[in-house]
Amino acid sequence: MIHGAHRSAADLCTLEPGTHLCALEPGEIQLDRVAATFVGQGLAAGDRLLYVASDEQAEALVTALPEHVHVAEALATGQLRISSFADAYGTRRPDDLSAVADGFRAAAAQACKDGFPGLRVAARMDGLSALLGSHQEVLAWERMSTYLQHELEVSSVCLYDASRLDPEQAASIAREHDGQAPEVDVPPIGTFLAVDEPWGLRVSGEVDVSNRDLLKQLVLSRAAVTPRLRLDLGEVTFADIGTMCRLQAAAAELPDSGWLLLDRVPHAVRRILEVAGISHERLRVAP
Amino acid sequence: MSAPATHAALLYDSPRQYAAETGSFLRAGLAQGHRGLVMAPPDRVEWIRHELGRDADEVTYVDDTVAYTPQWNAYRVLLEFAAEAPDVRSVVVAEQALSTRVPAEVLDYRRQEAAANVVFADRDVDLICPYDAGALPAHLLDIARHTHEHLRVDGAAAPNSAYLDPRAVLTRLTEVVPAPPGATTLDCVSHADVAQARRLVRHRGAAAGLGPDAVADMALAVTEVLTNALQHGAPPAVLHLYPEQETWVCHVHDGGTALVDPLTGILPPDGLSEHGYGLWLARQLCAAVDVGHDLTGTHVRLHARIAD
Repeated sequence: MIHGAHRSAADLCTLEPGTHLCALEPGEIQLDRVAATFVGQGLAAGDRLLYVASDEQAEALVTALPEHVHVAEALATGQLRISSFADAYGTRRPDDLSAVADGFRAAAAQACKDGFPGLRVAARMDGLSALLGSHQEVLAWERMSTYLQHELEVSSVCLYDASRLDPEQAASIAREHDGQAPEVDVPPIGTFLAVDEPWGLRVSGEVDVSNRDLLKQLVLSRAAVTPRLRLDLGEVTFADIGTMCRLQAAAAELPDSGWLLLDRVPHAVRRILEVAGISHERLRVAP
Repeated sequence: MSAPATHAALLYDSPRQYAAETGSFLRAGLAQGHRGLVMAPPDRVEWIRHELGRDADEVTYVDDTVAYTPQWNAYRVLLEFAAEAPDVRSVVVAEQALSTRVPAEVLDYRRQEAAANVVFADRDVDLICPYDAGALPAHLLDIARHTHEHLRVDGAAAPNSAYLDPRAVLTRLTEVVPAPPGATTLDCVSHADVAQARRLVRHRGAAAGLGPDAVADMALAVTEVLTNALQHGAPPAVLHLYPEQETWVCHVHDGGTALVDPLTGILPPDGLSEHGYGLWLARQLCAAVDVGHDLTGTHVRLHARIAD
């Protein structure tokens, strides 16, 4: 979904992997809000989130994230990673943008290796112009990022403080992005979070045709690391039959030694397992 | 090669006649090594057990309030019973307290009786459906006469001249009932609207007097049917909610032009298939399900009983 032409706010729930978004906001408060919306929805979809920001900005994000994404756990499992601008991009002007691209590739590969279906990045960009030396270099960087992110299927939001840019600069930056990230958080109906101990994930809210493929992706990504998963369904309020079919299919794809354990299964989910007659030897249901 | 399935009605006037006919039917089956299943009201079960005497425990009994809740569950009970011994023929007595059914359920029961002639045709099963001729009104006894190829009379199957072609019966019963002008309506375009539809069903269903379990089952059935409409039908997909006689109706209407076979979702889909579940599941969750088609598209009407 490309939003560049009409500059409408992107819908984060249906964000195509690899979408390069920007936010040009007049101040810290608004930028914090856009970052929290992007990071919160990315975490809820089960992806790894990298936030490139200062300590103060990171602290503001942690405070602003909604409760359902369990930010402390997301930091502990590495689903949410925070990096300073210097650690992410260096302190000297890179000789070659391809070195930056390699870093990006490595981060995307690592997210996959760690059991996440995808990587999303939110980055405060205000140091970039100083690092690269000119506004023209910033535009070149952003253009490269668009190509690279489409290739790596990494979505991002580049957060610019518009009060530090003249309108012409702001417009030229916007043109190098697929669209603008929304400030207002419309909470997703369901949240899928990685859990390390025991290995698996935690599902809460509702799962249906709008988000069940995301859930299956996260299950398969976690299973690629360790094919024995516990799904904590304790906070699930609704699941449709397609969701349970996908979990059954995911269980069927596991090696013989693997399993999917459905734990803390609520009445609503037991009812559908029973009515639909869904079972598989590697799909275990805790009593 | 096994014998084709049989589906006969027993129109009985007395407990003695009921016991003699069902008893001789079950005994003959057991004597040939078949397995017996009775889905019936508890007093009927007692008549049969008494008649069979020492052989009574050879037969499996399922209370009609379990087997027919909802009505289409009876198919599932039968299929699961048969699946326990795939190579053995089943002899089945199937009767529910038809007089307790509301009009939408009676209509669906007519479909159920007609469809049995088609979907079980190649199965290893003999079915007898007793109807209380002394107590049931004529329009309910007509179901027996129109949807059974044979009548059970004096211990044998006699041809039934009133039997109608089951596919013709099913096609006639697909007539669309439009949503009334006062219905609550929700337009659904994207997948995100399914969650909105569930919220509306929960809210309005509770207000209509449905219990929490009935509301949850209806929210699930609407989710499945609406998802089907969005994925396989044609826009717009519209959800209407309204009361109708003794049921509360969730009516999903989409612009799909493909005719829906009246037998779609009557039997459970095979294996891991993710499609075709919608209507099967809806029939396992709702009191009655109407599926029809007109110039404006496909209509699926899901009924819940307002109060029992």
